[in-house]
Amino acid sequence: MACVNGNGKLTQSAKNILQAVENSPKSPADLSRELAIPMFKIRSSMRDMASMGLVQETEGAYQLAPGGKKMLDKSN
Amino acid sequence: MENMNQEEKVISLPRIGDTAPNFEAETTHGTLRLEDFKGSWVVLFSHPADFTPVCTTEFIAFQEIADELRDLNTELLGLSVDSVHSHIAWVRNVKEKMGVELTFPIIADLNKDVAKKYGMIMPGESTTETSRAVFVIDDKQIVRAVIYYPLSTGRNMPEILRLIKGLQTTDEHGVATPANWEPGEKVIVPPPKTQEEAEERANDDSVECTDWYFCKKQL
Repeated sequence: MACVNGNGKLTQSAKNILQAVENSPKSPADLSRELAIPMFKIRSSMRDMASMGLVQETEGAYQLAPGGKKMLDKSN
Repeated sequence: MENMNQEEKVISLPRIGDTAPNFEAETTHGTLRLEDFKGSWVVLFSHPADFTPVCTTEFIAFQEIADELRDLNTELLGLSVDSVHSHIAWVRNVKEKMGVELTFPIIADLNKDVAKKYGMIMPGESTTETSRAVFVIDDKQIVRAVIYYPLSTGRNMPEILRLIKGLQTTDEHGVATPANWEPGEKVIVPPPKTQEEAEERANDDSVECTDWYFCKKQL
Protein backbone atom coordinates (compact mmCIF):
# COMPACT_ATOMS: atom_id res chain seq x y z
CA MET A 1 0.00 0.00 0.00
CA ALA A 2 1.31 3.40 -1.03
CA CYS A 3 0.15 5.03 2.19
CA VAL A 4 2.32 2.92 4.53
CA ASN A 5 6.11 2.65 4.37
CA GLY A 6 8.36 -0.37 4.95
CA ASN A 7 8.30 0.20 8.72
CA GLY A 8 4.54 0.00 8.83
CA LYS A 9 4.29 3.75 9.44
CA LEU A 10 2.29 6.28 7.46
CA THR A 11 4.00 8.00 4.53
CA GLN A 12 4.14 11.77 4.83
CA SER A 13 1.45 12.26 2.17
CA ALA A 14 -0.87 9.75 3.91
CA LYS A 15 -0.29 11.51 7.20
CA ASN A 16 -1.18 14.86 5.63
CA ILE A 17 -4.41 13.45 4.21
CA LEU A 18 -5.45 11.76 7.47
CA GLN A 19 -4.77 14.96 9.42
CA ALA A 20 -6.91 16.86 6.92
CA VAL A 21 -9.92 14.60 7.60
CA GLU A 22 -9.27 14.26 11.34
CA ASN A 23 -11.86 16.79 12.48
CA SER A 24 -14.42 16.88 9.70
CA PRO A 25 -15.39 14.82 6.63
CA LYS A 26 -14.09 16.16 3.33
CA SER A 27 -14.74 15.40 -0.32
CA PRO A 28 -11.87 14.48 -2.67
CA ALA A 29 -12.27 17.92 -4.31
CA ASP A 30 -11.93 19.65 -0.91
CA LEU A 31 -8.83 17.61 -0.11
CA SER A 32 -7.32 18.27 -3.54
CA ARG A 33 -7.73 22.02 -3.04
CA GLU A 34 -6.60 22.07 0.59
CA LEU A 35 -3.51 19.90 0.11
CA ALA A 36 -2.68 21.02 -3.46
CA ILE A 37 -2.61 17.39 -4.59
CA PRO A 38 -4.09 16.38 -7.98
CA MET A 39 -7.53 14.76 -7.81
CA PHE A 40 -6.32 11.47 -9.29
CA LYS A 41 -3.84 11.05 -6.44
CA ILE A 42 -6.46 11.88 -3.82
CA ARG A 43 -8.93 9.38 -5.30
CA SER A 44 -6.27 6.66 -5.45
CA SER A 45 -5.04 7.37 -1.91
CA MET A 46 -8.56 7.42 -0.45
CA ARG A 47 -9.32 4.07 -2.11
CA ASP A 48 -6.15 2.59 -0.59
CA MET A 49 -6.82 4.07 2.83
CA ALA A 50 -10.47 3.00 2.83
CA SER A 51 -9.43 -0.58 1.99
CA MET A 52 -7.05 -0.50 4.98
CA GLY A 53 -9.71 0.87 7.32
CA LEU A 54 -7.90 4.19 7.80
CA VAL A 55 -10.79 6.31 6.49
CA GLN A 56 -14.46 5.77 5.89
CA GLU A 57 -16.58 7.24 3.16
CA THR A 58 -20.10 8.58 3.64
CA GLU A 59 -21.99 10.21 0.77
CA GLY A 60 -18.84 11.10 -1.11
CA ALA A 61 -16.99 12.57 1.87
CA TYR A 62 -14.15 10.90 3.79
CA GLN A 63 -13.49 11.00 7.49
CA LEU A 64 -10.94 9.46 9.80
CA ALA A 65 -11.76 5.86 10.83
CA PRO A 66 -10.61 4.31 14.14
CA GLY A 67 -7.78 2.51 12.29
CA GLY A 68 -6.58 5.80 10.86
CA LYS A 69 -6.71 7.48 14.29
CA LYS A 70 -4.54 4.68 15.68
CA MET A 71 -2.01 5.04 12.84
CA LEU A 72 -1.91 8.82 13.21
CA ASP A 73 -1.32 8.56 16.97
CA LYS A 74 1.47 6.04 16.31
CA SER A 75 3.18 8.31 13.80
CA ASN A 76 3.12 11.43 16.00
CA MET B 1 4.37 -12.64 -37.41
CA GLU B 2 2.94 -15.96 -38.58
CA ASN B 3 4.03 -17.70 -35.37
CA MET B 4 2.32 -15.10 -33.23
CA ASN B 5 -0.60 -16.48 -31.27
CA GLN B 6 -4.10 -15.18 -31.76
CA GLU B 7 -4.09 -13.12 -28.56
CA GLU B 8 -1.06 -11.13 -29.73
CA LYS B 9 -2.46 -10.63 -33.21
CA VAL B 10 -5.76 -9.10 -32.10
CA ILE B 11 -4.61 -5.70 -30.95
CA SER B 12 -7.09 -2.92 -31.56
CA LEU B 13 -6.92 0.66 -30.47
CA PRO B 14 -9.63 2.91 -29.10
CA ARG B 15 -10.67 5.34 -31.81
CA ILE B 16 -11.35 9.05 -31.60
CA GLY B 17 -14.76 9.55 -29.99
CA ASP B 18 -14.71 6.23 -28.13
CA THR B 19 -14.90 6.06 -24.35
CA ALA B 20 -11.33 5.44 -23.18
CA PRO B 21 -11.05 1.88 -21.82
CA ASN B 22 -10.81 1.93 -18.03
CA PHE B 23 -7.98 0.10 -16.30
CA GLU B 24 -6.40 -0.37 -12.93
CA ALA B 25 -2.61 -0.43 -12.97
CA GLU B 26 0.41 -0.31 -10.73
CA THR B 27 2.28 2.95 -11.18
CA THR B 28 5.13 4.86 -9.59
CA HIS B 29 2.40 6.75 -7.68
CA GLY B 30 0.57 3.66 -6.42
CA THR B 31 -2.42 1.88 -7.92
CA LEU B 32 -4.29 4.13 -10.33
CA ARG B 33 -7.45 3.71 -12.38
CA LEU B 34 -8.20 5.76 -15.45
CA GLU B 35 -11.45 6.80 -13.75
CA ASP B 36 -9.36 8.50 -11.05
CA PHE B 37 -8.62 11.18 -13.68
CA LYS B 38 -12.29 12.04 -14.37
CA GLY B 39 -12.68 15.81 -14.54
CA SER B 40 -9.16 16.26 -15.89
CA TRP B 41 -7.78 15.75 -19.38
CA VAL B 42 -5.11 13.05 -19.61
CA VAL B 43 -2.15 12.55 -21.92
CA LEU B 44 -1.67 8.77 -21.71
CA PHE B 45 1.59 7.98 -23.46
CA SER B 46 3.68 4.85 -23.90
CA HIS B 47 7.40 4.51 -24.44
CA PRO B 48 9.47 1.48 -25.48
CA ALA B 49 11.61 0.97 -22.37
CA ASP B 50 13.22 2.59 -19.35
CA PHE B 51 16.93 3.47 -19.50
CA THR B 52 16.90 4.12 -23.25
CA PRO B 53 18.12 7.43 -24.69
CA VAL B 54 15.21 8.60 -26.86
CA CYS B 55 12.74 7.79 -24.07
CA THR B 56 14.87 9.71 -21.59
CA THR B 57 14.80 12.82 -23.80
CA GLU B 58 11.04 12.45 -24.19
CA PHE B 59 10.38 12.08 -20.46
CA ILE B 60 12.44 15.16 -19.72
CA ALA B 61 10.53 17.00 -22.47
CA PHE B 62 7.17 15.83 -21.08
CA GLN B 63 8.22 17.06 -17.64
CA GLU B 64 9.14 20.43 -19.14
CA ILE B 65 5.55 20.92 -20.37
CA ALA B 66 3.92 19.45 -17.23
CA ASP B 67 3.19 22.83 -15.64
CA GLU B 68 1.68 24.21 -18.84
CA LEU B 69 -0.42 21.05 -19.15
CA ARG B 70 -1.57 21.43 -15.54
CA ASP B 71 -2.74 24.95 -16.43
CA LEU B 72 -4.82 23.27 -19.16
CA ASN B 73 -6.33 20.90 -16.56
CA THR B 74 -4.32 18.07 -18.12
CA GLU B 75 -2.37 15.31 -16.36
CA LEU B 76 0.45 13.18 -17.77
CA LEU B 77 0.43 9.40 -17.40
CA GLY B 78 3.33 7.39 -18.85
CA LEU B 79 3.51 3.66 -19.56
CA SER B 80 5.96 0.96 -20.59
CA VAL B 81 6.39 -2.79 -20.27
CA ASP B 82 8.74 -2.44 -17.29
CA SER B 83 8.40 -3.04 -13.56
CA VAL B 84 7.67 -0.36 -10.95
CA HIS B 85 11.18 -0.92 -9.59
CA SER B 86 12.68 -0.27 -13.02
CA HIS B 87 10.59 2.90 -13.36
CA ILE B 88 11.65 4.10 -9.90
CA ALA B 89 15.33 3.42 -10.66
CA TRP B 90 15.05 5.27 -13.99
CA VAL B 91 13.22 8.25 -12.42
CA ARG B 92 15.96 8.45 -9.77
CA ASN B 93 18.65 8.14 -12.47
CA VAL B 94 17.13 10.97 -14.52
CA LYS B 95 17.08 13.16 -11.41
CA GLU B 96 20.66 12.28 -10.48
CA LYS B 97 22.23 12.46 -13.96
CA MET B 98 20.08 15.04 -15.75
CA GLY B 99 18.81 17.08 -12.81
CA VAL B 100 15.16 16.66 -13.80
CA GLU B 101 12.53 15.35 -11.37
CA LEU B 102 9.78 13.42 -13.18
CA THR B 103 6.65 14.21 -11.20
CA PHE B 104 3.99 12.36 -13.21
CA PRO B 105 3.03 8.69 -12.66
CA ILE B 106 4.34 5.91 -14.90
CA ILE B 107 2.38 2.68 -15.37
CA ALA B 108 4.31 -0.57 -14.91
CA ASP B 109 2.53 -2.62 -17.56
CA LEU B 110 4.51 -5.84 -17.22
CA ASN B 111 1.63 -8.06 -18.35
CA LYS B 112 0.77 -5.59 -21.18
CA ASP B 113 -2.85 -5.32 -20.00
CA VAL B 114 -3.12 -1.60 -20.67
CA ALA B 115 -0.91 -1.71 -23.77
CA LYS B 116 -3.21 -4.31 -25.35
CA LYS B 117 -6.36 -2.36 -24.46
CA TYR B 118 -4.93 0.71 -26.17
CA GLY B 119 -3.20 -1.03 -29.09
CA MET B 120 0.17 0.36 -28.07
CA ILE B 121 2.20 -2.59 -29.36
CA MET B 122 3.11 -2.61 -33.04
CA PRO B 123 4.07 -6.27 -33.66
CA GLY B 124 5.75 -5.43 -36.97
CA GLU B 125 8.20 -3.25 -35.06
CA SER B 126 8.46 -5.02 -31.70
CA THR B 127 6.39 -7.59 -29.83
CA THR B 128 7.99 -6.81 -26.48
CA GLU B 129 8.03 -3.01 -26.39
CA THR B 130 5.29 -0.42 -26.64
CA SER B 131 5.55 2.08 -29.47
CA ARG B 132 5.46 5.83 -28.85
CA ALA B 133 1.68 6.23 -28.58
CA VAL B 134 -0.17 9.28 -27.25
CA PHE B 135 -3.84 9.17 -26.32
CA VAL B 136 -5.41 12.50 -25.49
CA ILE B 137 -8.39 11.74 -23.24
CA ASP B 138 -10.77 14.52 -22.23
CA ASP B 139 -12.32 15.30 -18.87
CA LYS B 140 -15.28 13.02 -19.68
CA GLN B 141 -12.89 10.15 -20.50
CA ILE B 142 -13.48 10.30 -24.26
CA VAL B 143 -10.55 9.67 -26.61
CA ARG B 144 -10.05 12.96 -28.45
CA ALA B 145 -6.81 12.35 -30.35
CA VAL B 146 -4.36 9.54 -31.03
CA ILE B 147 -0.74 9.95 -32.15
CA TYR B 148 1.71 7.18 -32.99
CA TYR B 149 5.45 7.55 -33.47
CA PRO B 150 7.92 4.76 -34.23
CA LEU B 151 10.60 3.55 -31.82
CA SER B 152 13.29 5.60 -33.57
CA THR B 153 11.68 9.05 -33.41
CA GLY B 154 11.02 11.16 -30.33
CA ARG B 155 7.74 13.05 -30.07
CA ASN B 156 7.16 16.79 -30.41
CA MET B 157 5.92 18.41 -27.21
CA PRO B 158 4.83 21.75 -28.76
CA GLU B 159 2.51 19.79 -31.06
CA ILE B 160 0.97 17.91 -28.13
CA LEU B 161 0.37 21.23 -26.35
CA ARG B 162 -1.02 22.80 -29.54
CA LEU B 163 -3.34 19.82 -30.03
CA ILE B 164 -4.79 20.06 -26.53
CA LYS B 165 -5.23 23.82 -26.78
CA GLY B 166 -6.96 23.33 -30.14
CA LEU B 167 -9.33 20.67 -28.77
CA GLN B 168 -10.20 22.77 -25.73
CA THR B 169 -10.78 25.83 -27.94
CA THR B 170 -13.13 23.75 -30.09
CA ASP B 171 -15.05 22.62 -27.00
CA GLU B 172 -15.30 26.10 -25.55
CA HIS B 173 -16.20 28.06 -28.68
CA GLY B 174 -17.69 25.52 -31.13
CA VAL B 175 -15.08 26.31 -33.78
CA ALA B 176 -12.36 24.42 -35.63
CA THR B 177 -8.67 25.29 -35.93
CA PRO B 178 -6.76 25.56 -39.21
CA ALA B 179 -3.41 24.07 -40.19
CA ASN B 180 -0.52 25.25 -38.01
CA TRP B 181 -2.95 27.19 -35.78
CA GLU B 182 -1.55 28.63 -32.60
CA PRO B 183 -3.56 30.14 -29.72
CA GLY B 184 -4.45 33.77 -30.46
CA GLU B 185 -4.75 33.20 -34.20
CA LYS B 186 -8.03 33.21 -36.13
CA VAL B 187 -10.21 30.10 -35.91
CA ILE B 188 -12.47 28.50 -38.48
CA VAL B 189 -16.24 28.90 -38.22
CA PRO B 190 -18.04 25.65 -39.08
CA PRO B 191 -19.52 25.80 -42.61
CA PRO B 192 -23.26 26.49 -42.92
CA LYS B 193 -25.41 23.37 -43.14
CA THR B 194 -28.33 24.82 -45.08
CA GLN B 195 -28.81 27.28 -47.92
CA GLU B 196 -30.53 29.68 -45.52
CA GLU B 197 -27.54 29.57 -43.17
CA ALA B 198 -25.23 30.13 -46.15
CA GLU B 199 -27.15 33.29 -47.13
CA GLU B 200 -27.06 34.54 -43.55
CA ARG B 201 -23.35 33.78 -43.29
CA ALA B 202 -22.71 35.81 -46.44
CA ASN B 203 -24.21 38.85 -44.69
CA ASP B 204 -22.58 38.24 -41.31
CA ASP B 205 -20.06 41.01 -40.58
CA SER B 206 -18.67 39.25 -37.50
CA VAL B 207 -16.81 36.66 -39.59
CA GLU B 208 -14.25 37.04 -42.37
CA CYS B 209 -15.28 34.88 -45.32
CA THR B 210 -13.23 34.00 -48.39
CA ASP B 211 -16.28 32.15 -49.63
CA TRP B 212 -19.53 31.03 -48.01
CA TYR B 213 -17.98 27.79 -46.69
CA PHE B 214 -14.58 29.22 -45.71
CA CYS B 215 -14.91 31.71 -42.86
CA LYS B 216 -12.63 32.64 -40.01
CA LYS B 217 -12.99 34.81 -36.94
CA GLN B 218 -10.91 36.15 -34.10
CA LEU B 219 -11.99 34.87 -30.71
